[in-house]
Amino acid sequence: MKYLTCFLLIGSLFIRPANAQEDYSFDLSEIEKKAFLFGGYLEARPVFSLLDRESRFYFLNYYGSEQKKSALEYNFKALLDLSYEKGIAKAQIRLNADLNHSHSDWSQDLDLYEGYLSLKPSLHFHMDFGKKRLKWGKGYAWNPVAFIDNPKNPFDPDLALEGFTVISADYIKSFSGELRTLTLTGILIPVFENANSQLGQHNTLNYGGKLYSLLFDTDIDLMFLAGPGISSRYGIDFSRNITSNIEIHGEGAYWSEYSKEIVDDEGVSDQKKGNGCSYLLGIRYLTKSNTTFFLEYYRNGRGYTQKEMDNYYRLIDSGYAMFLASGIEDELDLASSLTGFRTFSPAKNYLYLRILQKEPFNIVYFNPSLTSICNLGDGSFSLVPELLYAPVTDLELRARAMFLLGDRGTEFGEKQNKLRLELRIRYYF
Amino acid sequence: MYRIFGICLALLMVVPLSAQDGNDILKKLDRNLSPESFESYRKLINIEPNGRRKEFVLFTVKKGADKVAALFLSPDSEKGRSTLRLDENMWLYIPNVGKPIRVTSMQSVVGGVFNNADILRLDYAEEYFVEKTEDLETEWLLHTKAKTNSVAYDHLRIWVDKDRILPKKIECMTEAFMLIKTIHFKEVKDFGGGIVRPSVVETDSPLHEGYKSVMIFASIAGRELKDEVFTLTFMPNMETLRK
Repeated sequence: MKYLTCFLLIGSLFIRPANAQEDYSFDLSEIEKKAFLFGGYLEARPVFSLLDRESRFYFLNYYGSEQKKSALEYNFKALLDLSYEKGIAKAQIRLNADLNHSHSDWSQDLDLYEGYLSLKPSLHFHMDFGKKRLKWGKGYAWNPVAFIDNPKNPFDPDLALEGFTVISADYIKSFSGELRTLTLTGILIPVFENANSQLGQHNTLNYGGKLYSLLFDTDIDLMFLAGPGISSRYGIDFSRNITSNIEIHGEGAYWSEYSKEIVDDEGVSDQKKGNGCSYLLGIRYLTKSNTTFFLEYYRNGRGYTQKEMDNYYRLIDSGYAMFLASGIEDELDLASSLTGFRTFSPAKNYLYLRILQKEPFNIVYFNPSLTSICNLGDGSFSLVPELLYAPVTDLELRARAMFLLGDRGTEFGEKQNKLRLELRIRYYF
Repeated sequence: MYRIFGICLALLMVVPLSAQDGNDILKKLDRNLSPESFESYRKLINIEPNGRRKEFVLFTVKKGADKVAALFLSPDSEKGRSTLRLDENMWLYIPNVGKPIRVTSMQSVVGGVFNNADILRLDYAEEYFVEKTEDLETEWLLHTKAKTNSVAYDHLRIWVDKDRILPKKIECMTEAFMLIKTIHFKEVKDFGGGIVRPSVVETDSPLHEGYKSVMIFASIAGRELKDEVFTLTFMPNMETLRK
């Protein structure tokens, strides 16, 4: 009986009586404006990984641990958005709490992702003070012009990330004619030990700006970031709808005097300095059968060449051999500290393809997709089939598998996983 | 003599009506549906064949012929999203993503039968011209064609109530005259301020057999808005427009 009641309750979530169709009520309390807003989501995300025990990153991440064929982790997340508006002022806070279980250990984090005060004295002028994300760029998987943002995960580009502490001001002006909108943004970025520390010398002030225009039906941004202790960087991006189902976009960034950590032929870490140019070109195309193709080419000017990647892999080999022979971890510690090689996209040339089918077989709110990222330099690639479904309002289920394919010595062939299976259950409130 | 004069007078009265320019009817229909600049609250309901529903509540503002923006007030999973349209340029702002991204008119931000062009609709006369007007008993049937190829539907067939000059039914078709969806206008309501228009708009599609999307208007009122409201920079702040 208990099971029958449970079954009927679950069933009632999915099936409503046919006469409910004609109930077109609209309660005015649904549109009442509230000064204080509260929302967010709760998420559970178990992940199963099949490990590649011959890969370099397996050696690096598991050398001192119990050797495993697979790993299971449990991730829980709560993202909370709060805002309060009064007159021309609005305060916004975004809190992120993570609870993770992996390698038999629990870990937890509570971070202020965003927290800032906005002042809007007129429709033309707007100022923000505090921690926020600026999100520059038009690319879907990568944003070479996102000078003041944490790098996003190309496999999860919409994931919320932590912002930077800034003072920003926008001046907006609309026009009639081919130039429709102009927005000038000025930004000050103080660097302290506890704020924006990755953006240059402590106790200094960086500055940046962006000029946005909607010109000839094309979004165009020009941006820069400069300051003491950081390399100056300049960027441009654009986006435009070609037809009612095709959009194109692109970004270009120039970094002067940047430096990156490398490993030389002798296995010693060094700094390589130079100027770098990164760019991205992308297209989004929607077919008549509601299939969307996202295609992006990314040239990472500051990325590593195949030779630099090979030297890094040799450092891991040498460090692992040393650890097995003598227990000395110095070289593996060094390899772990070279974070540039451990980013989402460390190499020079990438291609991103995502094929998304909207609501196939008339199943509404069901969107399967297939995503692939290919390192064009070494031919290795990832393949991610995904099922996304919202069976009831505010509940979203996502199941995905990630296959990492490539020979030894290639980027995806040296990742620690061969296969990763993930289920994400997210409830919005 | 009087008889001939009477016939001539009658002809003078009848001819302008029967030859009334379809484009003028379309413009009048647009103004009867909404003022040129307005704000409105509406609910979108996607209804599946089994009766399951998903509801979205939107606050919408429009200015002139080519500017319209909407803010999602519910459900919680969509709250804070906003969409903007300037002519054929469209953007979607998702708070989690944190920046406006370009979308196209054929995409759908709500799923179901509605696409973006349905939700951020401009005046019909702005996007279509009338090729032919059929004079039916109580209705005009306007055969319209899109002015550019960037419009979501190539052809519309609009049945117009002669008394109120309001749409009763619209068929949206491809270039090859394949029916994509049918829009039914129901329950004419007085919203105040001289706005008397259908409060329920039902949409079905042969491509989504058994599915229906409904738009219910709770309020619609004229409102003067500055152009700067219709900019990408303003999209995250649309909530501040609500009173």
